[in-house]
Amino acid sequence: MTYGEAGTTMVSKEHVPMIPTPKGRAWSATVNGQPVEVLAPSNAVLLDVLRDKVGTLGVKRGCDLGTCGCCTVMIDGEPQLSCLTLAGQVEGREIITVEGLSDGAHLAPIQTCFATHGGSQCGFCTPGFLVTSQALLNTNPSPSRDEIATAIEGNLCRCTGYQQIIDAVEAAAAMVRGETAAPSPASDPHHDPHPAGPEEPTMPPGHAK
Amino acid sequence: MGSYKQQPGSDASEIRRDGKRVAGKQSFPPPGSGGSEPRMRPRDLDYIPETVGGREPKPAGDHIHDRARTGTSVGKAMPLVDSNAKVTGQAWYGDDVRLQGELIGKILRSPHHYARIKSIDTSRVEALPGVIAVATGQDAPNRFGVLPVTKDEHAMAVEKVRHVGDLVACVAAIDEATAIEALSLFDIEWEELEPVFDPKLGLEDHDEPIHWRGKYHLARTNVQKRVFQEFGDRSLVNSPHASSHGTWTMSGVHHGFTEPHAVVAHWDPNGRLQLYTPQQVPHYTHRALSTVLDVPMHQINVVRTFVGGGFGGKSDPFPHEMCAALLARKAGKPVRITFDREEVYWINRGRHPSHIDVKMTADTDGRISSFDIDALIDGGGFASFGHVTSYYNGVLATAPYELGSFHYTGARVWTNKPASGAMRGHGAVNTRCAVEVGLDEMAESMAVDPIDLRLANLLPPHSRTISGFRITSNGMREALERVREGSNWSEKFRQLPLGKGIGIGCGFFISGSGLPIHWDPKNFPHATVHIQVDMDGGVTVHTGAADIGQGSTTAVAQVVSEVLALPVDMIHVRSHESDTSPVDLGSYSSRVTFMNANAAIRAAIDVRDQLLKAAWEMLGYHPNVLVLNDRRIYYKHDPSIGVSYLQALHKAQEDTGALIARGAYRSPPMGGVHKGAAAGLAPAYSFSAYVAEVDVDVETGRVSCTNVWAAHDCGKALNPLAVKGQIIGSCHMGLGQVLSEKMVYGRTGHLQNANLLEYKIPSVHEMPHVEAIIVESSDPEGPFGAKEAGEGPLLPILPAVVNAVYDAIGVRLRDLPLTPDVVYNGIEKHMKTLGLDDPLDLPSPRLEHGPLQATLEARSEAHRERDRLRQRSEDTSAYVNGVLFGFDPNRPLAEQVEGWREADEPLPEQLAELGFAGRAWLKKEQRHMGGDA
Ligand code: FES
Ligand code: FES
Repeated sequence: MTYGEAGTTMVSKEHVPMIPTPKGRAWSATVNGQPVEVLAPSNAVLLDVLRDKVGTLGVKRGCDLGTCGCCTVMIDGEPQLSCLTLAGQVEGREIITVEGLSDGAHLAPIQTCFATHGGSQCGFCTPGFLVTSQALLNTNPSPSRDEIATAIEGNLCRCTGYQQIIDAVEAAAAMVRGETAAPSPASDPHHDPHPAGPEEPTMPPGHAK
Repeated sequence: MGSYKQQPGSDASEIRRDGKRVAGKQSFPPPGSGGSEPRMRPRDLDYIPETVGGREPKPAGDHIHDRARTGTSVGKAMPLVDSNAKVTGQAWYGDDVRLQGELIGKILRSPHHYARIKSIDTSRVEALPGVIAVATGQDAPNRFGVLPVTKDEHAMAVEKVRHVGDLVACVAAIDEATAIEALSLFDIEWEELEPVFDPKLGLEDHDEPIHWRGKYHLARTNVQKRVFQEFGDRSLVNSPHASSHGTWTMSGVHHGFTEPHAVVAHWDPNGRLQLYTPQQVPHYTHRALSTVLDVPMHQINVVRTFVGGGFGGKSDPFPHEMCAALLARKAGKPVRITFDREEVYWINRGRHPSHIDVKMTADTDGRISSFDIDALIDGGGFASFGHVTSYYNGVLATAPYELGSFHYTGARVWTNKPASGAMRGHGAVNTRCAVEVGLDEMAESMAVDPIDLRLANLLPPHSRTISGFRITSNGMREALERVREGSNWSEKFRQLPLGKGIGIGCGFFISGSGLPIHWDPKNFPHATVHIQVDMDGGVTVHTGAADIGQGSTTAVAQVVSEVLALPVDMIHVRSHESDTSPVDLGSYSSRVTFMNANAAIRAAIDVRDQLLKAAWEMLGYHPNVLVLNDRRIYYKHDPSIGVSYLQALHKAQEDTGALIARGAYRSPPMGGVHKGAAAGLAPAYSFSAYVAEVDVDVETGRVSCTNVWAAHDCGKALNPLAVKGQIIGSCHMGLGQVLSEKMVYGRTGHLQNANLLEYKIPSVHEMPHVEAIIVESSDPEGPFGAKEAGEGPLLPILPAVVNAVYDAIGVRLRDLPLTPDVVYNGIEKHMKTLGLDDPLDLPSPRLEHGPLQATLEARSEAHRERDRLRQRSEDTSAYVNGVLFGFDPNRPLAEQVEGWREADEPLPEQLAELGFAGRAWLKKEQRHMGGDA
C-alpha cells in the first residue's frame, strides 16, 4: 500500500481464542531440599512455576528465551535454564535455586565472595551466576580462570564486565578448599561484648593528634 | 569515667549478678555499644589524610572535609551494603513485588510505524470474561516527559502512534493468558501516515511532522532541537599546519540491562497510589504520575524497588507506569505489568544513532586550533532527554584540551522509531570517539606521538574551558602518564606486527549536572539526606538516592560511617520510598555520589557536632580538642579521658529524644550566560585515559580486544572495589558499542533484533583483561574529594579500540560497530588503493618522530609542573582556555583578538557552509515564518 493516501485500514481480527489452557495438574519436585507440590498446567514452563507457584522469586526472568542465564537453576546438580525447561520434564527431580545455596544468613562461600569481590552490582544476574558457579565448584573445586569463564559463558552480566565475577569464583573456590576462612554470619547470636561502649584504648597520649 | 548509667539514679552495678531485678529498677539489658569488638580500634592512620595528622598521602592537596575523616571506611574496599540481599535472591526487583489479589496488565502496541487512530472499540475486550479493566489514551490526556520543556508523551497514544511498539491501549485481567487474549479483541481503525526513518530526511519539511510544537515548530520539519555554538577565533582555522576530517555513522545501542521493566500499582484503601517501579529517577516519575493521573503528589508514594541495571534506560517517567496506575485505579486492585525482552527494546531510550562529522586543525606549534563538530542525532518518536543530548554531543568535547576555537552544530530529529534517550555517557560518547580518533589522525600527520600531543594540550586544573565550564580538579595528565607506563606504550605503539595494534583514547564527563531538570521550586537543593540516631546507637539515613547497582547506598553509608566513626553495619540506609525519603533528583548525569554523599556528609557532621557538644559537657574539653574514633570520643592528648559513643549519644538525647539532622547539597552558581550555557555545567568533571590492545584478523575482519589499561580520575575512590567495578563494567559496555552492539533497523524501518541473541552484548569470552587504574585528584567540592566513576569511564574505550585497529591494519574505520563486515570492507578498499591482493601484505603503520615531537615533549614537561602547582592550589592565578595561545586570562578574550566570537546562532554568511545537522538553521520557526513563508 502507499502511505499518505486517505485510505484506512481496519484491524479487526477474528477472535481466535487462545489455545485453551490445559487443566492444572499436580506437579511435584524437591525444591531447595523441600518437597513441593503445586497445581500447574501441564505445559507450564519451569521458570513460571518456580516464580509464580513455588514462590522462589530469586529465580530471575531476564529474557524468557534462553539468552541471559538469569533463570539458571540446578537440576540434579546440573545448571539449566528454567525458562527453556518444561516443568513436566523435571517432575520429581531435585531443583536448587539461589535460595537453596545459603542456610539462612549462613552464606555459601560463593555468595560471600560475590559480595566481597564485587561480583554483583545491580544483582539481577547474580542468582544465575551463583547457581552456575556453585555447580562448577561442586564438580571442580580448583577451576582455572578459563574454566570459570567457560562455565559462565551462558550468563549475561551488563554491570560487572565479568572480571570481578571470575575473581569471586576463584576466591570462593579457595574458600571451599579451606584455604581461606569463611566469615561467620551476622545473624548468629553475638552479644555486645561491652555494652557501655568500647574500652579505653591502649594508646600513648598524643597518638591521636 | 564512671560506668554506664542505665537510668537516672540507677547504676549498672546495681543489677544483681544473678540477673534478678533490683527493687525499683527495670531489668531490661543496657543498650549495646553497637560494635562487636570489645576494644576501640586505634585510628587507621593510613586512611587519615597526612594534612590532618594521618598517613594518607594527599598529592593533590587539602580537602575541605579532611577534618571530618576518621579513617573508618572511606577509601577502603568493601562489599556493597545490599549485596547480601542480592546474593541470597532476596533483593526485590520490579516483578518480584507480588501483592494480594494482583491483576496482570498487558499493553497493546502499535503495529504501524506512523498512523492516526481514528477509533478504538473496546467492547469486545470488555466482554471477555476475566478482563477487569481496560484503558486507552482517552483516559489520560495529560502530557508528560522527563524534561519540562519537552513534554510530548502520553500514557497511551491519544491521536497518533509514532513508532511500532508505541502504546495504544492496556488491559488488566485475572491472569496473563486472559490479558494476552484480550489484546486481540481491540477493534481499531487506523489511518496510516508516511513514516520517516532516515534522520537526514527529518531535516526536511514533511506533510505531517511527528510532533507539532505550534509557533516554535521549525518550519514543517521533524527537528526537535537544533543547537549552534561557536567560541574562539575562527581565523585560526584557515591555515592549518595539520588537520583531520572524519565522517562517522554510529548505530543506536541499547542499555541492555538484565532486568526488563516492570511496575506494580496499587491504590490503597485511603485512595493513595503506591507505585513500585525499578526507577533511576523516582522523583520525576512522581511528578509525571501526579500530572497524568491528576492527583496531588502527596497522594502518591513511589517505591523504588531494587533496580536490575539502569544505565540511563530507567530514568524517564514511563508510559507503562502510568498505564499500571490507570488500570489499578479502574480495577480497584493491584496491577502488575512486566515487559518481555522485546518490549524493552520498544520503549528503548538507548543511545542515539548518530551521524557525526568532526574536523579539527592544529597549528605549527602542535596546538589544537579548532574543533568543528556537526552531529545529527536520531531521536526516535519522543523527546525524552533529547534536548540535553543535543547539547552534550558538542559541549562535552570542549575539554580536556585547550582549543583555539570551537564550532558545533547539532540537531536532533524525530523519526518513527522507538525513542532514543539517555544512556551511560549521555551524549558525550559518540563525539568523544570521533574527536579522539581525529586527534590520532592529526598526530600521525604531524609525525608525533598521540599521547604527547594530548599531554601538550591539556587544560590545567582550576581553569575554564572555551565554553566557560569551570574545571576544578583534573587528573587527566596523571591518567595519561599512568596508562602510557602501564601498557608499555613506547615499546608497542606503531611497532607491532600486522594484525596487532594499540591505541589511546581519553574521556571527559560531568559529575552531576549543575542545574536540576526541574526549576521549580526555585533554589531547592539537588540532594537532601536525613539522619536519625536513636538510643540504640544505630544510625538511620534517609535518602532518595536511587541505587541502581552502582552502589550509591553504600557510598552514603560509607561517608556517614566515616564522619561518625562507626562501623558500616551500624548505618542503615533507607532509600526506597518517596514517603520517607527526602526529594532526590535521581541517578542520572553521574550526580548521586557527588551530590548525595555531600549532603550526607553535611548531615553527619551535624550529628557529630551534637555528639561532641554532649561530650564537651561530660568531659569539660572543647570539641576542638576531642577526637571521635571507633565508638568513643576522647581528649586528644590523653585517650584515657573520654566517653563512649553511646554515653555521649544518650547525653545528647536528654530531653530531646533521637538526634535528627539533615544535610543538603546544591551546586554553586557557575558558567556563562549564552544560550545553552547550562548544558554540560557541572560542579566537577571526571577525566580518563585508556589504552587498548587489539588483535585484528585481517583475513576475516574480526576484531578482538585483548588488554585494556584504564585510568580514571574519580577524585577520590570512596570504595575502590566499586570504582574498579564501574571501570571494568564501563569497558564492557563500551566494547559492546564499538565492536558488536547495534540496533538494526531494516529497510522498512522495523527493528530487527529486539532480543538478546541478535543484539550482541559481549559475553565473558569477548572481555579483555582490564587493568583498572584509579587516579585521585581530590576534588575540592566532591565528598571527601570524590567525583563520578559511573559514566565517564565508558568514553575512552571506543576511540582507544578504533585507534588500536588503525595501528593494527592501517585502516581508519568510522562506522560503528566495527563488526567483521565493516572491518573487512575497509581492508578491501584499502587493498584496492594500494593495489594488493593479499590482506596479509598490508603494511602496518609506522611512526618516525617529526620535529614537532620535541616541542610537544618540552611543552608537556613544562605543563606538568604548572598543573601540579595549580592542582595543589599553590598557584591560584586565573586560567582560561586561550592562555596557551598567548592570551591574558584576566581580560576578556574578545578584547584581545579580533574575530573572537561567542555565538549561539549562525551568522547569515555562515549558513551556506554549515554541516549536515547545521542545515536545520536554514529553516525558520513558525512564529518567524508569517510574512515570508
Ligand atoms: S530468562 Fe532464561 S535465559 Fe533469560
Ligand atoms: S550485576 Fe547487573 S547484570 Fe550483573
